[in-house]
Amino acid sequence: MIARMLDGVPGRGLAVLAGLLAVLLAAPWVANDYVLTVLIIVLYSAYTGQAWNVMMGFAGQLSLGHAIYVGLGGYAAAALYVHFGVAPWLGLVAAVAIAAACGAVIGFLAFRFGVGGVYFAILTIAFAEFARIGFDHFRWVGASSGFFLPVANYTRNDLWNLRGDPTMFYYVMLALTVAAFAICHVLLKSRIGYYWQAIREDEVAARSLGIDTFRYKMYAIVLSAGMTAVAGVFFAFYYNNLFPEQVFHISRSIEMILGPIIGGIGTLFGPLVGALLLTGLSEAMQELLTALRLDVPGAKQVFYGLCLLVVVMALPGGVWPWVAGKLGLTGPRS
Amino acid sequence: MIPTTTNSSGLTRRGFAVGAGAAGLLATAAGDFARAQGGPLKVGVLLPRSGAQAGIGQDCQRGVELAPAIFKELGLPELAIMNADTETNVEVARARAEKLISDGAQLLVGAFDSGQTTAIAQVAEQKGIPFVINIAAAPQITEQGYKFVFRNFPTAAMILSDAFANQKELFEATGVAPKSVVFMHVNDTFGTSMQQGINAVLPRFSMPYQIVEQIAYDPTARDLSVEVAKAKATGAQALLLVSRLNDAILITRELVKQRWSPMAVLSMGPGWYEDQYLKTLGKLSDGPMSFVPWYDPHKRLSKQLEAALAKAYPGINMNTNHVFTFEALLVAADAYKRARSSDPKALADAIRTTNITDNVSIGPGIQFNDKGQNDKLKNAAIQNRGGKLLTIAPKEASNAKPELPMSAYDRRG
Repeated sequence: MIARMLDGVPGRGLAVLAGLLAVLLAAPWVANDYVLTVLIIVLYSAYTGQAWNVMMGFAGQLSLGHAIYVGLGGYAAAALYVHFGVAPWLGLVAAVAIAAACGAVIGFLAFRFGVGGVYFAILTIAFAEFARIGFDHFRWVGASSGFFLPVANYTRNDLWNLRGDPTMFYYVMLALTVAAFAICHVLLKSRIGYYWQAIREDEVAARSLGIDTFRYKMYAIVLSAGMTAVAGVFFAFYYNNLFPEQVFHISRSIEMILGPIIGGIGTLFGPLVGALLLTGLSEAMQELLTALRLDVPGAKQVFYGLCLLVVVMALPGGVWPWVAGKLGLTGPRS
Repeated sequence: MIPTTTNSSGLTRRGFAVGAGAAGLLATAAGDFARAQGGPLKVGVLLPRSGAQAGIGQDCQRGVELAPAIFKELGLPELAIMNADTETNVEVARARAEKLISDGAQLLVGAFDSGQTTAIAQVAEQKGIPFVINIAAAPQITEQGYKFVFRNFPTAAMILSDAFANQKELFEATGVAPKSVVFMHVNDTFGTSMQQGINAVLPRFSMPYQIVEQIAYDPTARDLSVEVAKAKATGAQALLLVSRLNDAILITRELVKQRWSPMAVLSMGPGWYEDQYLKTLGKLSDGPMSFVPWYDPHKRLSKQLEAALAKAYPGINMNTNHVFTFEALLVAADAYKRARSSDPKALADAIRTTNITDNVSIGPGIQFNDKGQNDKLKNAAIQNRGGKLLTIAPKEASNAKPELPMSAYDRRG
């Protein structure tokens, strides 16, 4: 398994990976809680970006409503925990199942009836909006007034119930991100990954070669939905409150896809690099403005937008393919 | 026995641990010494000054800007304000709270929105830093058993209950009451939440009116002529509303265009008393009544705050955002004065025993129950009259008599 995972990765790439992992593992010893919180946001964005990348980057299906899976996952696990005392790791199973089933329904409707491209994107937005409005009226989980998980000042970390300090959440998120990275790496090197890439490049050609495009697109959406639901569970237990307006909103879907787009769609490192760049840039902008004593609301967003504009215009394929090419790590689709 | 490692400099692991411990003790002692110096209390203020709630966050910020000068006059200690923008985002709110604490904030204030406030509350509780909530109505926030979280703002249930109590008081005082109302509300999170709350609470108050029709509409609608026509067609005597600013303006214009002057416009949310509403509609803005957490115009500090606002921001009426953000800082300054220390635990203990009677909001003053909630707050009924917001209920806080029925739109010259 390990050999399969490392197959085709150049030595320099392995060294970079090992170095990065070592830095991330050691971070809680040197970073304060603020830096740790920012790193959690980076890892969370990288993880959700990776999950979305399975759909768009690997299988070429543009989803703009991935927030639905975050919300369903979060609400499912949180409701089981609050109402029945089910631990989040068990709730996760239900959360993944519900989100995957929802993904399957969306996928079936779209792929069976030939809804593709921007129309598929609109369909995913529509489902996320249905969910948002539906949960606004779903009293069992607080409806529009929000759903709150009980919290307390925990003296020790309780990993089983996901109650604890930022360091615990950091390691949980790091483990999830590494797992998502490994899964995607293995999938990309397997038959299913090649089929997805064939569908992404030319679906008609892929079908004429005998690939069951419906089935493999369904695999992509179900896997992506399930992975995203895991992030939803983390979100619910880390922030301890869920509002339909907050978790199902299209802005959350857009946040999710920005990382891979900036980092490089269809690449393994793209979501991580994109998340690091976006969050880092955002925090750096904040620090810069504070240092300049420019306390103007919205100024950060303006500078942030300009920086992103420059990145997108200069590197339309994403940052990672360019970085990888410069460092001689591997090909543009690594 | 586990051997201790020694590096080339001769420093053992045990030696390092002892040294680090000593350094930690010294750092702690230095911190205590600094606090004992009596410098300004470092207060981190978290508000959504950009993003979807930017307008409200910036309005709350005005309450922050006005505080230092008034506190000086009151003989309260100086506060060093550390502003942070939550960008109307839960993740950012949490990260900013962590940043403020790591930058030395000794007390936090914020954050207008319940979701962002909950995220900040967890950080404050974990770090043992007092957090005074300015505005956030979700009851759950003070039901978590927090020791460092305090809220000087009514919960959603308190707001609704007071709204109906104030309506009954107005109807009794004027001897005029509608027998039927149409309930129009926005269909966003706030609107649906209020709609559910109103339907749940209303039966308990045996109001003189019946809701004959409920009409939900999109807060971003550009035309509400159909909705208003539908409401008018019911023959209801009054309008009960949960709206935002733009739709409040649209509805008023439609009322005028469709020549319908209800006996009363009873608003349970924002929009109808906002400055933009008053400025846009001029004389047509007169008449609507809003039921909101408000200030007592008779209180000395209210007059002081109102004068300061008029001087700093001419043309802006004092409102909920200014009042409760100012009061959150008032709680902080008062606690710092009594605690004589910026030690977070001492501050939290002082906040717990807060008893500020010289305050701004309606009610006996600022005190917190064992959950950290000021449960003695009272809400007001206010009415737009001549571009001003007059308090018409409760009686002890009123500065004008209610105008009910409100004057017809076609008789305003």
